[in-house]
Amino acid sequence: MLIAAVLVGLVAVATTLGLVWRASQGRVRTASGRIDDVELGGRATLLQLSSEYCAPCRSTARVLGQISGDQLGDNDIRHIEIDIVDRPDLVSRFNVLQTPTTLILDANGTVRARIGGAVRRDHVIAELDRVLAVA
Amino acid sequence: MSAATGIDPRSPRFGAGITGVLLLVVIGLAVGGAALPALILFSAITVLFAWGAFAGVQRHPYGRLYRRFVRPRVQPPSELEDPIPPTFAQGVGFAITLIGVALTLLGLPIAVPIAAGFAFIAAFLNSVFGYCLGCQIYLLLARLGVVGRNRTAAA
Repeated sequence: MLIAAVLVGLVAVATTLGLVWRASQGRVRTASGRIDDVELGGRATLLQLSSEYCAPCRSTARVLGQISGDQLGDNDIRHIEIDIVDRPDLVSRFNVLQTPTTLILDANGTVRARIGGAVRRDHVIAELDRVLAVA
Repeated sequence: MSAATGIDPRSPRFGAGITGVLLLVVIGLAVGGAALPALILFSAITVLFAWGAFAGVQRHPYGRLYRRFVRPRVQPPSELEDPIPPTFAQGVGFAITLIGVALTLLGLPIAVPIAAGFAFIAAFLNSVFGYCLGCQIYLLLARLGVVGRNRTAAA
């Protein structure tokens, strides 16, 4: 009886953690701050913080690369992928707790939004539209 | 990463599923009072984690099981994945289970079900939700200064 209770409890805890984690992935949150030491895109920059041991960083890089590549103007929207070990200052400044973390910067380098975890293409495009509309 | 060295992303999740079930058996044995069988099975799981961590997840026996019995029965993978992140996750599993075995040998048998519990949660999240352990743990280690290049901050 005790054994069953422990095992069922453990599975329940793990399932809850998993659901909470999944709901948090790819959500767009507002953010603030400014980054002026990277080469910015003409209208917006998608700054992706990645690490070597991160599988969703690869898919996120693909999605963000496509979004920046789809733009008609040269370098209108720029995608930059930075390894966390190269910029620990950014990691601590923005309190980055997972990779990938994507910061959406406007033309001035002001951080307007952040996305933790694998991104969803439609969410990124909606957020970019918002940033570009206000800019 | 080239496609030639990529692995089917479902393979590590399949392996984590087997590991998760075995860890539940360990916890069941330990809670039920069968301390020695629990320790033996838990040690075997530790060795399997070491296999994945040091030989690479591609050479893990569960990967062979997947290729032999599961892969022929499912659709081809839509994309291949770099083996480095799941290999890192095997290393994390190895570290957790090794601590459990070591503490038990030092006279703290409660360490087996506790370490197995943590390892189970990680394996379950990986298998069921596709959770990527390296995405957070490696970053945490980098922030603590355990890993990473010695490089003065640019800002």
